[in-house]
Amino acid sequence: MSNPPIIPALPRVSQYGVAPGQVTKRAAELPGMTSVMLAELYPDSPPAIYPGAEDVSVVRKHTVSALKKVNMDMIGPEQSVNICASHHGFTLLGGAPYAEMLRTVRDEIENRTGCRNIRLRAGVGLRFRETEEYIKSFGLDAYFGKGKAKGVAPIDEGIPIETEIGTLYGIKAVYDADWIVHAHNSDVREVHFHRQVDRAVKPFGMSYARIETRSTYHQNLGPRGANFTARAIFASDFVQSKFAFAAFLDMSPVGVIGVDADNDLYALNDRLTIAGCRHYGKIMTLLGEVDECIAVLDFPCPVPYVFAAGVIYANFAGANTDLFDLDMALPAYTWYTEAFYGRNGPLLESIPPVNPAIKMCVHNYAWGGYPSAFFSERIPTLVVGGEQAAVMDRDSQNVEYMAHAMIAKNLDSAMHFAHAASGTDKIIVFDGAAGGINVSTSLAGLLREKAPGVGRRVDGELLPKWLRQRGIDPMTALG
Amino acid sequence: MKTITLKARINSARCIGCGNCAKMCPTLAIFMKGKKAVVDEGRCLACANCHQRCPVEAVTLEKLDKPFTVRAVTRDFEREAVEAMCIKAGFNPGQILCYCTATRAEEVAAAIIQGAETPEEISFRTGLRMGCSVECIQPALRMLEAAGITPTPPEGGWQWYGRTPVLQEISQEVKSKYNHRGFYFDSDIALFAEVVKSERR
Repeated sequence: MSNPPIIPALPRVSQYGVAPGQVTKRAAELPGMTSVMLAELYPDSPPAIYPGAEDVSVVRKHTVSALKKVNMDMIGPEQSVNICASHHGFTLLGGAPYAEMLRTVRDEIENRTGCRNIRLRAGVGLRFRETEEYIKSFGLDAYFGKGKAKGVAPIDEGIPIETEIGTLYGIKAVYDADWIVHAHNSDVREVHFHRQVDRAVKPFGMSYARIETRSTYHQNLGPRGANFTARAIFASDFVQSKFAFAAFLDMSPVGVIGVDADNDLYALNDRLTIAGCRHYGKIMTLLGEVDECIAVLDFPCPVPYVFAAGVIYANFAGANTDLFDLDMALPAYTWYTEAFYGRNGPLLESIPPVNPAIKMCVHNYAWGGYPSAFFSERIPTLVVGGEQAAVMDRDSQNVEYMAHAMIAKNLDSAMHFAHAASGTDKIIVFDGAAGGINVSTSLAGLLREKAPGVGRRVDGELLPKWLRQRGIDPMTALG
Repeated sequence: MKTITLKARINSARCIGCGNCAKMCPTLAIFMKGKKAVVDEGRCLACANCHQRCPVEAVTLEKLDKPFTVRAVTRDFEREAVEAMCIKAGFNPGQILCYCTATRAEEVAAAIIQGAETPEEISFRTGLRMGCSVECIQPALRMLEAAGITPTPPEGGWQWYGRTPVLQEISQEVKSKYNHRGFYFDSDIALFAEVVKSERR
């Protein structure tokens, strides 16, 4: 069986990457490329509502329905509400589903409470204008009204938040309303950081947080304690006094599978913990079975965040380890791991190497705006085109990225070199293909061959262990 | 250590004088003169905060004719003190504190021993925080604390507000309350101790 490649996510106009016109060829167009659908690998994958038979309005329908069980009585007509969002949602399936959920949450608050002072506060990772770009691109500035939609960054003015572990700091503009609504998504994304522990709470310690808090997360609390930063803030009296409810775009590797909403974020978090381990666990474990490959980055995001089958490249770089297994302290890639590389190599014997299956990386299209030299230093990397190399060179977070990478004239010459140097014909493309994964025929064969065994191992052994490690009884959770 | 290839330039005609750039500059390279922001070129290490947050996009980053490198080098007679300060702060001297510039703990310690008394001065001397400017403020504050220095945040600025908790300070009560949810506090404390103890650099 040979499927045609899936059409990849389109390049996006952004100051963090090259202009879309400079992405002259996508990896999916290479000869010998095919695709494998997730539902084919794992027939128990949940059905997607988007992409699917309906357009993005299906997200509105599901959001309205999910919000029916949410109490909004605390919001008065004369009060103010901040809908808190994050850049990450806009990277999912082109961003339209997340933007539609945000619009719908806004409309439902207005319809049900009479409140008209509803603002959008959209946080970022390390690209401080990224959500400003999305706000404009999806017309959210016009939709929310003049001056009501705002991108916020961790270096903006802050406020102290007293927590049970001491003072942490939030972004002032996130909390400058009577009520806040947490509008996020359940895509697991940075499993290497949050380890699927309190995933739903994470933005309180990250995209809604100031630098002091984010530094606490990535430097002070450890690889498995890090996400407690987020819980400490969310559990604070200050945040609890403002929190109204949460609405989440419910994701799985196949796409959007629904919308979840709740006044109780912890209850939503428990549902999401189970679903994340279950839906992403199999594909992530399967990608760990890849024995050798050329990884092609081909998506409008920084290097670690490009997607294949719902899994980001940073997680593939650590796929030789089980990222969900909390008995394992350090994934092959996470910032704590990176910190523990001395000048002459890892400071501990136990630090696992970056996934040795990645024989070469071809950076066909990916952005700067995230420190990525760790990857080019450890994985032989070819960057396609001088313009893209220049983007990395101008980026204050990537001054050394090109010190470890070579420039290829175009994608074809990069692939020719990568094949010759690595000796493998297995290719995996991180291009955001929806519902499946673009790969070479040889890798498609390997994935199909290994999928059933991995599925059995996850269902029978790994998933119950992952849940137990997170305080969830597998018998109750999985029936 | 960071190699500087760019400099911030402010378009005075466009500048509205909000002062945000000055409030978020990690090396205090921007000051207000009248109602206009001005860059002290000798202190700008091109972190790009001003460029990224100016509300009217009045800041550009221009390529330097002659790139230069900032770094603090440990002199032989400082080696013992550098090691001691890093370990007291809970770091292996060889570990990376800044993920953007790969600035290591020993370099920050050397800068402090050589006279840096604030996070801003550490940044200026080592390049720490000169990438994203987000993730490494706490290590800078922890290192200063280990040196017996309590800096105060720049007046009226948003560069930083304060030191935050470290793992070892989390109470037994909090740990007991949350351990079962997957927060492996004690195991991570043991991991940190192992890294600090490692003789590898």
